Amino acid sequence: MMPYATTPGGWMLVLALMLPVVGMLGIFALGLRHAERIAHATLLAGLAVALAIAVEVGRSGQAVTYLIGGWRPPLGIALQADGLSAVLMVMTSVILCSVGVFARGSFSSPPDGAEVRRPFVFWTLLLGLWSALNTVWLAQDLFSLFVALELLTFSAVPLVCLDGSRDTLRAALRYLLFALAGSVFYLMGTGLIYGAYGTMDIASLHQVARADWATSVALGLMIVGLMAKAALFPLHLWLPPAHAGAPAAASAVLSALVVKAPFILILRLWFDVAPQPLPAAAGAMLAGLGAASILFCSIMALRQARLKLMIAYSTVAQVGYLFLVFPLVMGSAAEMPWDSVGWTGGVLQLVSHAFAKAAMFLAAGLIAEALGHDRIADLGGAAKGVPVTVAAFALAGLSLMGLPPAGGFISKLMLLTAAVETANWWIAATILAGGILAATYVFRVVGSALAQPRAGLVMKAVPLNRELAVLTLALIAVALGFLPLQPLDYLGIGRGGMP
Amino acid sequence: MTGQGLLIASSVVVPLLMALACLSPAVRGRMPGWLAIAPLPALLAAFLARGGSIVVAPAPLRLTLALDDVGAMLLGGAALLWAAAGAYAASYMRGQPGLGRFAVWWLLTLTGSLGTFLVADLTSFYLAFSVASLAAFGLVSFEGSPAALRAGRVYMALALLGEAFILLGFVMLAIGAPPGNPLIGEAVAFFPSSPLRDPALALLILGFGLKMGLVPLHVWMPLAHPVAPMPASAALSGIIVKAGVIGLIRFLPLEAALPGWGATLVAVGLFTAFYAVAVGVTQTQVKTVLAYSTVSQMGLVAAVLGAGLMAAAPGTALLAGFYALHHLLVKGALFLGVGVAMATGPRHRLLVLGTMTLLALSLAGLPLTSGALAKYATKPLFGDGLAATLATLSAAGSTVLMLHFLRLLGGVAKPGAERPPTGILWPWAAVAVAAFVAPWAMFAWATALPLSASLGAKALWAALWPIGLGASVWVALRFVRLPAIPEGDVVVLADRLAPAVGRAGEAVERADIWLRRWPVASMMLAVLAIALTVLLSAGS
Amino acid sequence: MTPATLYGLCAAALVAIGLFGLILHPSPLRKVISFNLVGSGTFLFFGVAARRGAVAGFLGDPVPQAMVITGIVVAFAATALAVALLLRMLESGAPTVDGPPEQPDDLSP
Repeated sequence: MMPYATTPGGWMLVLALMLPVVGMLGIFALGLRHAERIAHATLLAGLAVALAIAVEVGRSGQAVTYLIGGWRPPLGIALQADGLSAVLMVMTSVILCSVGVFARGSFSSPPDGAEVRRPFVFWTLLLGLWSALNTVWLAQDLFSLFVALELLTFSAVPLVCLDGSRDTLRAALRYLLFALAGSVFYLMGTGLIYGAYGTMDIASLHQVARADWATSVALGLMIVGLMAKAALFPLHLWLPPAHAGAPAAASAVLSALVVKAPFILILRLWFDVAPQPLPAAAGAMLAGLGAASILFCSIMALRQARLKLMIAYSTVAQVGYLFLVFPLVMGSAAEMPWDSVGWTGGVLQLVSHAFAKAAMFLAAGLIAEALGHDRIADLGGAAKGVPVTVAAFALAGLSLMGLPPAGGFISKLMLLTAAVETANWWIAATILAGGILAATYVFRVVGSALAQPRAGLVMKAVPLNRELAVLTLALIAVALGFLPLQPLDYLGIGRGGMP
Repeated sequence: MTGQGLLIASSVVVPLLMALACLSPAVRGRMPGWLAIAPLPALLAAFLARGGSIVVAPAPLRLTLALDDVGAMLLGGAALLWAAAGAYAASYMRGQPGLGRFAVWWLLTLTGSLGTFLVADLTSFYLAFSVASLAAFGLVSFEGSPAALRAGRVYMALALLGEAFILLGFVMLAIGAPPGNPLIGEAVAFFPSSPLRDPALALLILGFGLKMGLVPLHVWMPLAHPVAPMPASAALSGIIVKAGVIGLIRFLPLEAALPGWGATLVAVGLFTAFYAVAVGVTQTQVKTVLAYSTVSQMGLVAAVLGAGLMAAAPGTALLAGFYALHHLLVKGALFLGVGVAMATGPRHRLLVLGTMTLLALSLAGLPLTSGALAKYATKPLFGDGLAATLATLSAAGSTVLMLHFLRLLGGVAKPGAERPPTGILWPWAAVAVAAFVAPWAMFAWATALPLSASLGAKALWAALWPIGLGASVWVALRFVRLPAIPEGDVVVLADRLAPAVGRAGEAVERADIWLRRWPVASMMLAVLAIALTVLLSAGS
Repeated sequence: MTPATLYGLCAAALVAIGLFGLILHPSPLRKVISFNLVGSGTFLFFGVAARRGAVAGFLGDPVPQAMVITGIVVAFAATALAVALLLRMLESGAPTVDGPPEQPDDLSP
C-alpha cells in the first residue's frame, strides 16, 4: 500500500478547500451587499494558494499530501496534489479569477441595495463550486469524490437558472435530475467496490483490484454515471439548454470546468483503480462514444442559429476528444500511461479547452450585451463595436479548431500522433474531421461578426476591463500552444507510486 | 544572433505586427495605404540574408527560420509581388467599404505566405501554411457578392481538407524522426525508410496538390481568382499557390529515387496541364482564363518535380523553384495588367496590350522571355520519352490559352477610360520588368547551365515550333463552336450533393431531438452501463 | 437465505422500481421520488456490505454506515433543491423536464 504522510506544505491543500468556504461564510456574516468584494478577495487569495501548491509540487518533485486529522487511509481521508492536480487547480483559479473580473459588471451589487439576491447567489455559488472542484482535484477516495461531485452539481444547477425564467428553470431541473441519475449509478458502483475490497482509497484499490465480475459491474456503473455528468454523447440531453441558458459568466464556468471534473474521475478510475490491462474493447467503446460526440455534436453546433447554443454543442464535441485517450494509452503497455503522448495530449486538451471555452462563452456574453442578441446570422458590426472581444473569440476558436499556434493544436496533434502510432486510424480520421467541422462553425461566427453592420445598428459599449479579461483567457489558450510536443514531466509528478 | 537572422525574422514579424496594429481602429483606417511596406524586410532578406538562419525558440520547441537558395528565390519574387500588389491595392481599391478588414486579411495572408518560404521546422511550416491558406479566405470572399461567398465556401472547404491531409501526413512523417518538433530536413531524411512512407507521401501530395490546383482538386481556383479584387487575385494566383510548390519541394524526398511516386506526379501534373487548357479555352471571363492558366502551369511544376523524384536528379528543387518564380512574376503581372488594361483608353492601349502579349506568351515559352528560359532549364529532367513530348506540347496548349486570353483582354475597357492612374501603372510595370529581367539574371545560378546555350538556334527552334502549333490550333478553334463549361467545371458535381448534405444535417437534428428526450437518454444511460460492464468483464 | 441476501434482494428491487420511475414517469415530482427510491436501495446495499464486512465484536462495519449517513444528507439536499426548482416552475404552469427545444428568443444579457 502506498504510504501516505503529510508533506511540508500539506496544510495549503486544506487552505485551498477551506478558503472558498470561509469566503461564503464571510458573505453571510458581513452582509450580502459586500458579496462581490469578499468574493474577489477570496479569489485572489485562492489563486495565490493554487500557485504556491503548484510551485511546491514542482520544487519537491513529489506529491503534496495532507492527512486530515492525522488519520491514515483507509479509515482517514487524504488530500493529495500531484502534478496533474496542481495544474488543474491553477487552471481553475485562473479561470475563476477572470470570470470574477468579467462578472463585476453583470452581478455587481447595486449601490442602493435594491436587488441583492442575484449577485449574492452568484458569488456564493461560485465560491462553493470552486471548493467542490478543488476537492475533486485533491480527494483520494471514491466516496469523498462522490460528495465533491454532488457539491459541484448543487452549486452548478442554481447558476443555470439565475434569471429565473421558465426555460432556464426547466433546463436546471433537467440538469439536476440527470446528474442525480448519474450520481446514483456512481454510488452503486462505490458500494460494490466497498463490498468487494473493503476500502475506497484509490491507491489501496490500485494494489488489490482484481479483474472479476463485481469490479467490472462497479466500474461500468461508475464510469457511465460519470459520463452522464460529463454530458458525453448520447447522454448530452441536459447540457445545451443548461449551458446556453445560464448567464455568460456562469456558462463559462460550467462549460470550462464543471464538465471536466467527472472526466478526471473517469481518468482516475481507468488508470488508477481498474485492474490493468483493461480489455481493448472497453476502451474502444469509450473512444467510440467520444468520436460520435465529436462528429454528431459538431454538426449540431454548425446548425445552431444562436451563438450560445452553438458554443454549448461545441462543448459536447470537445469533451468527446477527451474520451479518445483510452485506447490510445492502452496500446503502449511498456511505459507509464502519463509518459505517453496520448495521455499528455488528453490532459492538454482538457486544459486548453477549458481556457478556450471560457473565453468563448464570455466573449459571446459581451457580444450579446453589445448587440442585444446572439443570433449568429446578424452579428454584423460586432467586430467594429467590440473588436477585442471578437479577436478573443477568434483566438479561442483557433484552439478549438486545432490550428497552430494554439493549445488545441498541440493537444490534438499529440492525440493524432498517438492514434497513428497505435494504428487507430478511425480515431485519427475523427480528430481531423472534428477539426474541419470546428473550423467551419468558428469561421461562420467570425465571418458574420466581421460583416458590415446593418444600417441603424446601435451598439452598447462594454467596459474595456471586461474585454481584457476575456482576451487574457484566449491568450492563455493560445500560449499553451508553445508547449513542446512531448510528454511533460510535470504532469507525471507524484504518480510514480502507481505502478 | 546575426544581422541576417534578424532580417529573416523581421520579414515575418513586421507584417504580423502590422496586422496586430489593426486592432486599433485608427491604424486600421490607414493601413490600406501602407500595405506595400509590409513585404519590404522580406525583399531585403531575399538579397542579403541567403544562407542565414535564426532559432526563434530553442529546443524542445525549435521554431527555426532559415533561408536557403530555393527559399530565397521564391521569397524575393513573392515579396516583390506582394509589395507591388499592395501599392496597386491602395490605388485600385480606394474608397471601397471595408478596406480596413481587407488590410487585415491581406497582411495575415502575406505573413503566412512569406513564412512558408522561410520556416525550417515541421510545426512552423504547418503554422505558416495554415495562416496563408485560411487568411486567404478573407481575400476570396471580400467582395461579399453571392459568387464571392460561394467561392469562399468552396475555397474554405478545400483548404481545410488540405490542412487535414497535410497534418496527418506530417504526423506520419514525424514518427521515426527525433521526438518533439523535428526540422524539415531531419524528418525528410527519415522519410524514404519510414514504414508509413507511402500513405504519408500520398497525403502530402494531396494536400499540397490541392493548394497548387492539381486536377481534380483545382476547382477552387477558377472560382476564387476571378471574384477576388484584382490585386488579391494577383497574390492568390501568383503567390498563394506557391505555398503548395514550396511544400512539395520541401517534403518530397527528392534525393531518394522513388520512380513510382515520381511517375504518378508526372502523370497527374501533365494531365492537369492539358485539362486546364482544354477547359480554359471555353471560358469567357478574362480572370477565369488566367486562373485556368495557373492550374495548367502548376501542373507543369508538379510534373517537373515528379520527373526529378523519379530519377533523384540533383538540382530538381532549384529548377522547380526557378519555374515557379517565372510563373509567379508573370502571372502577377498579368493579373495586375488586366486592371491596367481596363483603365486604359485607346491612346495608350497599344503599349499596354503589347506588354501583356509578351507576358502572356512568356508563359508559353516565347523565345527570349523568362518562360523560354524556364522551359529550357527544366526540359532535361523529362529525358526524351513520352513525358518530354507532352511537356513540350504543353507549351502549345499554353499558347492556345494565352491567345484566347489576349482576345478577351482586347475586349475589356471601361468606357471613357484615358490614362491608367499612376498608382496602378507603376506597380504593374515594376512586376512586368521583374518578370522579364529576374529570370535572366538568375538563370546561370539557378540552373547551372550556360546562358548562351539557351540562345542557340536549336533552343530557339525548340521553343518556337510549339508556339506556332498552338497559334494554328487557336485559329482552327475559332471555327469550332466550343461547349460552355461553368467556372470550376467539376465543382458542379459537388453542387448536386448540396441538397443531400442539407438533408443529412436535418436528419442529425432530428436524431438529436430524439436522443435528447428524457426516456431515451435515461434508457441509454442504463444500456451503456450494461454494455460497458460486459465489455470490461470480457477479459476476466 | 441469509439476512444479507434478503437485504440485497430488497436493495435490488428498490433500485429497479426507482429506475423504472426515473426513466419512464413523465412527472418530475415522481422522478424525484424515484431517485430517492434508487438512493434508498443503494443505501440498503451499503448496509449489506457493512453487515458482511463485520469483524469480531462488531455488529457491522462502521465505515459504510458513516457513508450511508453522508449519502442520506446528500440525497436530502438534492431532493430539497429539486423540489425548490419544481416549486419555482409551478408559478408559471406545470413543471416538465421534456418540452420543445429550448430557444429563448433574445437571451437577456
